[in-house]
Amino acid sequence: MIRVEDLTIRYRTPGGEIEALTSVSFSIARGSTLALVGESGSGKSTVALAAMGILPGEARIASGKILFDGEDLMALSAEARREIRGSRMGLVFQDPFSVLNPSLKIGEQVGEGLVHKRGYTPKQALVRAIELLDEVGIRQPEVVAEAYPHQLSGGMRQRALIAGALASEPELLILDEPTTALDVTIEAQILELLETLRARRNLTMLFISHNLGVVRRIADEAAVLYAGEIVERGPTVALLSNPTHPYSKGLLAAIPRIGERKTRLASIPGRLPDLRTPPQGCRFASRCPFAQPQCAASQTLMESGARAVRCGRADALVGVPWPHLDDGAGVSEPVRRTTAEPVVMVENLTKTFTIGHAPWAFEGWRPTRKPICISPVNGISLEIAAGEALGLVGESGSGKTTLGRTILRLIELESGTIRIAGEDVSHLPQSALEPMRRAAQIVFQNPDSSLNPRKTIGDLLARPLVRFGLAPAAEVPARVKALLDLVRLPAHYQDRYAHQMSGGEKQRVGIALALATEPRFIVCDEPVSALDVSVQAAIINLLADLKDRLGVAYLFISHDISVVAHLCDRIAVMRHGEMVEIGPVDEIIERPKHAYTRKLVAAVPRVDGVSGGHPA
Amino acid sequence: MPLQLKAGLVITGVIVLLSLLAPWIAPHPWDTISMRTRFLAPNATYWLGTDEYGRDVLSRLLMGGRLSLAMGASATFVSLAIGVPMGLAAGYFRGWVDEGLMRLADVMMAIPPIMLGLLVLAVTPPALWKTAVAVGFVYIPPIARLTRSVTLSLAGEDFIQAARARAESSSYILFREILPNAWPPLIVEASLRVTYAILLGSALSFLGLGAQPPSSDWGLMIAEARSFLDRAPWLALAPGLAMCLLVIGINLIGDGARERLDPRLKARVGKVS
Repeated sequence: MIRVEDLTIRYRTPGGEIEALTSVSFSIARGSTLALVGESGSGKSTVALAAMGILPGEARIASGKILFDGEDLMALSAEARREIRGSRMGLVFQDPFSVLNPSLKIGEQVGEGLVHKRGYTPKQALVRAIELLDEVGIRQPEVVAEAYPHQLSGGMRQRALIAGALASEPELLILDEPTTALDVTIEAQILELLETLRARRNLTMLFISHNLGVVRRIADEAAVLYAGEIVERGPTVALLSNPTHPYSKGLLAAIPRIGERKTRLASIPGRLPDLRTPPQGCRFASRCPFAQPQCAASQTLMESGARAVRCGRADALVGVPWPHLDDGAGVSEPVRRTTAEPVVMVENLTKTFTIGHAPWAFEGWRPTRKPICISPVNGISLEIAAGEALGLVGESGSGKTTLGRTILRLIELESGTIRIAGEDVSHLPQSALEPMRRAAQIVFQNPDSSLNPRKTIGDLLARPLVRFGLAPAAEVPARVKALLDLVRLPAHYQDRYAHQMSGGEKQRVGIALALATEPRFIVCDEPVSALDVSVQAAIINLLADLKDRLGVAYLFISHDISVVAHLCDRIAVMRHGEMVEIGPVDEIIERPKHAYTRKLVAAVPRVDGVSGGHPA
Repeated sequence: MPLQLKAGLVITGVIVLLSLLAPWIAPHPWDTISMRTRFLAPNATYWLGTDEYGRDVLSRLLMGGRLSLAMGASATFVSLAIGVPMGLAAGYFRGWVDEGLMRLADVMMAIPPIMLGLLVLAVTPPALWKTAVAVGFVYIPPIARLTRSVTLSLAGEDFIQAARARAESSSYILFREILPNAWPPLIVEASLRVTYAILLGSALSFLGLGAQPPSSDWGLMIAEARSFLDRAPWLALAPGLAMCLLVIGINLIGDGARERLDPRLKARVGKVS
């Protein structure tokens, strides 16, 4: 159906030309699904853009061909290419929240292409749009067609986008991380929908994702991209259960798996090579624990049966597991595990936001307007002991983040009590919170936003020390170094700015910042969600180490149950501002009592779980 | 360094340098009347000619540069000094503080600049510094509004929450966390305002509300040259072109600086997804 041959794409940037893809080749047979797997910077989205022929202006196709049904797309005129793109290919983007035009009705957007390309009248297009919305499993499609995007949930929007991509009756569907922005339960529904559509319409799909569990569910074949090169390709199940390339091995070892508690996850040290001057030999060599001198020679993608690997030592490495790298300092004994008295006690905590007003109505003779309120935190009670990690899971909008910030008094509470380190802080004025602020800290999801871009790392880390008078001025630099050492960053990083570091390094600084005040309790608000799998593992390990060594208690907020199950001692499940279940990890994962918890746990796509249910 | 910034720095630098050194490098006295040399066209002795009192235009231009630059800089300083704190407070505290300050800005914006100048200078004798303050006052609202919108978006960033979680005072958050990040757009805006201020100041001088004869503010020079446009066009042309050059130079600096000052713009270099 589609065949990509030897595709090399370069981007012009002010810092020099970057090779985003280096002679990438793959083909997808009609009716099957290929997954492109890779971390950020691997070039996977570039493949999607190139296949659709919508690369940005800075990109240059240096060599290669893209054959669609035997026709070389690049040899065609722009007009003919647009024709193919409009009628035989469909593209679904990652973020259903920004792709839909907020000022057009759903029905118009789904049918838009039909009016322009197929000469439908707007009325006919609307009829067809309603049929399509019905096909992608939207209930009451007539109503939804008249709605605007902001009136729909994320899952509905993604369905509408898929309906839009299907409108032109495409043969090839390109999906760029279509479920990444969605909750797990919605993700499961969308994957199911894609399965059904594929079977019904005999669709060919190019599925781009970083989530190996999702790939396992949907794809017949998978190709792993690293630094612009395909390093391994093969049938999904075979590849995921028995990876050959060291990078694939590392990627799989770094994923926390439900029901498999290890002390620490494997992580991949180092970072992507500089793609302005890609290394001559194996691009993964600098991070590879199996690397040998011969890896400096250029590697070719060698086929053997259905699989292909770009590693000269592939044969020697068959069956060899990713080694358990000691991530810096050895695990030391717990130092400060103290009394059993809880560090955090929250009772009956409630926070209500007024989000609008109902229309004017008469109450007796008086015209009134009732406020419409939502309670993202509704009567929550919980306790966290010293050195304990409480995981907080739930779908987006369930109130997890609001709860975390309300406990820290970053959002004002409405009622209830909060005791931190034995002190009732629920009704103290902000100015009297200093002792609490020292004892309780926060780590944020997005390290790009949580580090002031205008300050050096040294200045950032010194500030809490100065603010709370924790060290005399002369000792501050030494303390800053100690903090960097604690999160395993070299001391010279104190002169850097946030933008000079990678995502994982920034998150380490975020953690060091929270640790600077020697807190007893840290709210970790999705601390690894913005990170790649290999980096995520290292941060999770770090958090686990710090918990054991310093006896810090965590409220660990995450939408990813496998991460929570790996790191935490207990799990609390939130839904619509209420806590539906709380208990030890094993209880929640293996014997969930509440139906919602069961649904949540079942929806998690697992690398070692079932695959799509069609012959691979 | 972007080419724009380089070009801007060179043009503005030359003008600033020449103006500062004016008393020493001016070829002739700028204020000595000499009836014998009236209305001379540009020549070897008087490079830019002479005016109706026989004064050397080049020397007057150089001296006038100091006045125009001082006007632009001090007016912008006034609007930054008042507008930036206003905008920071409005954007960070929101609520009634925001409402109050922004309505105040609206009221200020409703007064036409020339009227304000007239008002200030009608009650007191005209002086250059008063014109500068009046002009600065006029440009408070746009500065305050820009600062407010930048603050609004920065206040949503997590590092502000982190600062609150450290129990930092509001003034620390405003001036140490937010302000350093608000500078890039503010510098661009301020450089635009410098040029507007020079033009408005010149306009006020042209109307007789700013610099007074015999001083050689560029606006005033153009005003005086107006009656002799047919006989001696170089009288208006020289200060006009000088003002153009200065305005272009400062604008180039502003645009170039924006690119250089934003660390996130730099961070984007070399990232592909």
